[in-house]
Amino acid sequence: MSLPPFEVLRPWNLDAAVATLGRFGLDVKPVAGGTDLIPSMNQGLFAPKILLDLKGLRDLRFIRFDPERGLTVGAVTTISALTDSPVIARHFPVLHAAARNVASPLLRNMGTVGGNLCLDTRCLYYNQSAFWRQSLGGCIKNEGTICHVAPASDKCWAAFSGDVAPALLVLGASVRLASPRGWREVALADFYANDGLVHINKTHDEIVTSVHVPAASAGWSGAYRKLRIRHSIDYPLAGVAVAMQRNRDGTCVQARVALTAVNPAPKLVKGAKALAGKRYDQALVEEVAADATRTGKPLRTSASTMEYRRHMVRVFVRRALQEVWLNSTWTRPGDN
Amino acid sequence: MSSFPQPSVIGARTPMVDSVDKVTGAGKYADDLTLPGMLVGKILHSPHAHARIRSIDTSAAEALTGVKAVVTGRETPVKYGILPVGHDETIFAVDKVRYIGDNVAGVAATSEAIAEEALRLIRVDYETLPAHFDPEQSMRAEDYLIHEGRPHNIEREYHHHFGNVEEGFEAADYIREDRFDCAEVTHAALEPHSTLAKFDPDGKLTVWSSTQVPYYLMKTLSSTLQMAEENVRVIKPLIGGGFGGKSEVIPLELAAAVLARKAGGPVKVTYTREEVFYAHRGRPRQIVELKTGVTRQGELTAVEVRVIQDGGAYCGYGVVTILYSGQLLNAMYDIPNVKFDGYRVLTNKPACGAMRGHGTVNTRFAFEQQLNRIAAVLGIDPVEIRRRNFLKPPCRTVNDLRVLSYGYPECIERVCDRSGWKHKYGRLPYGKGIGIAGSHYVSGAANPIIRSMMPHTTVNLTIDSDGAVTIFSGAAEIGQGSDTMQVQIVAAELGLAMEQVKIIAADTGRTPVDLGSYSSRVTFMAGNAALAAAREGKRRILAAAAEKLACSPDNLALEKGGVYYRADCRLALSFQDAVRLAVGRDGTLQAAGTYTTPPDSQGGKFKGAGVGPSPAYSYSAQVAEVTVDSESGQVSVDRIIAAHDCGKALNPLAVEGQVQGSVWMGLGQAVQEEMIWQNGRLMNPGLLEYRSPSTLESPPIETILVESNDPEGPFGAKEAGEGSLAATIPAVTHAIYDAVGVWIDTLPVTPEKVLKALEEKRRSCELTSL
Repeated sequence: MSLPPFEVLRPWNLDAAVATLGRFGLDVKPVAGGTDLIPSMNQGLFAPKILLDLKGLRDLRFIRFDPERGLTVGAVTTISALTDSPVIARHFPVLHAAARNVASPLLRNMGTVGGNLCLDTRCLYYNQSAFWRQSLGGCIKNEGTICHVAPASDKCWAAFSGDVAPALLVLGASVRLASPRGWREVALADFYANDGLVHINKTHDEIVTSVHVPAASAGWSGAYRKLRIRHSIDYPLAGVAVAMQRNRDGTCVQARVALTAVNPAPKLVKGAKALAGKRYDQALVEEVAADATRTGKPLRTSASTMEYRRHMVRVFVRRALQEVWLNSTWTRPGDN
Repeated sequence: MSSFPQPSVIGARTPMVDSVDKVTGAGKYADDLTLPGMLVGKILHSPHAHARIRSIDTSAAEALTGVKAVVTGRETPVKYGILPVGHDETIFAVDKVRYIGDNVAGVAATSEAIAEEALRLIRVDYETLPAHFDPEQSMRAEDYLIHEGRPHNIEREYHHHFGNVEEGFEAADYIREDRFDCAEVTHAALEPHSTLAKFDPDGKLTVWSSTQVPYYLMKTLSSTLQMAEENVRVIKPLIGGGFGGKSEVIPLELAAAVLARKAGGPVKVTYTREEVFYAHRGRPRQIVELKTGVTRQGELTAVEVRVIQDGGAYCGYGVVTILYSGQLLNAMYDIPNVKFDGYRVLTNKPACGAMRGHGTVNTRFAFEQQLNRIAAVLGIDPVEIRRRNFLKPPCRTVNDLRVLSYGYPECIERVCDRSGWKHKYGRLPYGKGIGIAGSHYVSGAANPIIRSMMPHTTVNLTIDSDGAVTIFSGAAEIGQGSDTMQVQIVAAELGLAMEQVKIIAADTGRTPVDLGSYSSRVTFMAGNAALAAAREGKRRILAAAAEKLACSPDNLALEKGGVYYRADCRLALSFQDAVRLAVGRDGTLQAAGTYTTPPDSQGGKFKGAGVGPSPAYSYSAQVAEVTVDSESGQVSVDRIIAAHDCGKALNPLAVEGQVQGSVWMGLGQAVQEEMIWQNGRLMNPGLLEYRSPSTLESPPIETILVESNDPEGPFGAKEAGEGSLAATIPAVTHAIYDAVGVWIDTLPVTPEKVLKALEEKRRSCELTSL
């Protein structure tokens, strides 16, 4: 199917962008890299009259790190810029690892941080052509009333499939949004909702402008594990991000674990809190891994089975925790 | 004796003659072509797997501004199919649709958006019917059959028995039976199908199309549009990969022509990627029940195989595919007794067809895997069990396949040496494994699809008085090197540099008949025809030169751009001067060469004997090394060594590329590619979810070229493009066994299957230890 007709507006600055969103309402959709939206438009999932191209907003393209204030990344910074950043590689290894695992090099050159955080949820019954969806009568997320992966449910179970969000979650990040009404800042954990239909707490006239990681999270050990069939291109079938602040003697000061691609939202694993103040202990690791399999509720939204994805969540939590707890070198927060 | 024993362009590593156009973007593929006033064609597809069409209302679509033609099945009732025994398709469905994606109507409009809007305006009243999706259930069906005249939805069944398997199993010390299930896979060529059709004012049709078979397309256009063959011209532009997916007539090729005729203007139809998946014609899901008997020493005594192929809704190449799956069980090893029961079954899914290694791949996987299992049980090295069963050519197999050149033993020895087999098999640490397997393929089907007395191919040469040599060949370059190969052969025979030889190919209005690029036939057949044409040209040039030089042509050689005296290698005449003499003598300098397979290579007389015979077979042996993560079940293939007997590598660069490409496709089928179905609905009709390997899963592939110098091949050459695919799969599964001790008999080998097998093994070990 061909792309539906649309106009492209290229605002000079953020104020103009926000004003445009306010003015055209639901007819306009912001786009940056386009790696998520354009294929979906090709499939007839969206047909906005206007695309608001944010990629030219240079003010939203930056990576700033200050040991006192933490890390701030502009929303239209490309994923490649994250992977190329020595600051991120050194102080925020989990974010660096997650960014390196996004799609493929070409897509990382196009895709942006803001876009990756705002990715649409994905499902085998949703990300299909109009012909395909209509041959099945549509689904609850588009043109239909039932969820084919959970027919008894009145909710959409499409999975949030971004790689960057879980890494930012374990770093305690927040996002900053601009709208005609002004600015607001929201913790990333509160930015998401566990509903495939409306999985982001953002009104249509809001733009994510930047993401902020507190200084306290700098220097945490980190690891990201991604389940996929291909080692490039693929969205995650499951993803596990782990960050841990460790003492010189190997004691865990605090740790966070987050999952992606197994729920409509990226989610923190609550059980990871129990690691605070503990020395490495295999049994503790297994408890967190078990809690992760309760947090992640994969359904048949992808070609891989839910049983296998759940199994791999356990394996990944185990492996990622072992890696950050036992193998990585200790760095002092804010250490250069 | 000539002092120039080996023409230098033969065996030289030569880039393809069309490669500059391809890498600079100057080359034109079908979808790059435009004509003034060109319309966009689009096809309406069925949303139902099986339904009767009660009525179609196209009036709203026809009324839409910009719509120039709407065509439905009522206007296109002529049945066609690539095989004379399988004419079961129409351009658009006449009374029934048979799969989700079946073709219902076509629209030509002034823009893509208008054409799509017109499709939405077509009202089709369907009466849905119960559908058949699983081949084993479908072949028991009594009602709601997919086609008339196909009871139990069986397209075709064959029952072959050569020798006496009962006696063979009697003589066996060990008999093993296994069931294998190989998922459906597709070609995934980068170029989606595209066709541009144009009628001239005099009613003649020209079609530019992404086809591997211009000649068969011309014939099918002629029959379905009911036009004389001489009024239909098919031109093949550059092709972005075929792999069999363009080796039969694809609905859009006919739809474009029908729409162009009705619209009164040129029409181009290009499939979306999803439509490519519905047009498909890939490798069917195949269930193989295999029983093999061996002596204590591992010598094969009998093989019995039952094959079921899930062919989809139309015949396509299906009858050939099922025959290959049985016939080419032979010609690898010496099997004295063979029984084959093959069933090609219809289901309500897109039609399967020919795909690289046509029909042989899944049977070969099953056989090689079972042979490796037998070797493991008997405690014989898997390499040794193969040595004990080699053919002893020249020979004829029990099913009457003639084998002359046979480089398989050398392939086996070379991959063993290169891999360090003896030091690795069974000796690597847990999680690391090494495996071996073999495969083979025909160098062209000995019998044409449409039986005829015509040559399989003809190549014409024109040599102008300025010395320019032009080849006219019907052979279809699809990226495999068809054009380059013919230029090499003609240049070699005429003693010229490749730059002095041009080729015009695959234009049915300008070039002689060639049957097409399928069954790996082009190097052997068009190569031999090009060689014959060049020899005839050479004979005439040397005859004219000899007349002038007052000597015998036998004393002269055509080499290095001139005529030389054989005795002292002295230059006698330049090539151009010699050509002028020949033109002056004969008026024109043209030569033709043909190729027809030798009668003794055409196979036996039994029903189905026509498929499998070939003038020559290529052979491949491969060693795979893998790492298996027993906690995640993930398999990574670390290294593949592939030795391929191509007879003679005319262009080693091209042969290596073909072997690597085959291995890579085999690897995809082995561990990750699969068409996933739910009630006849393809769940992954796109390249994001149909996961061909990326560069990151592609291991180093070391190719070894084995040259057995086939007595009938051009300069000794045989096929190179398909025979190495099948061996990759059982080599990988064997390596998985060596790594973690489990055999996976279903494809693809997903991590879940590995985990499940490991779990079962653990449980059975616990039981035994009780």
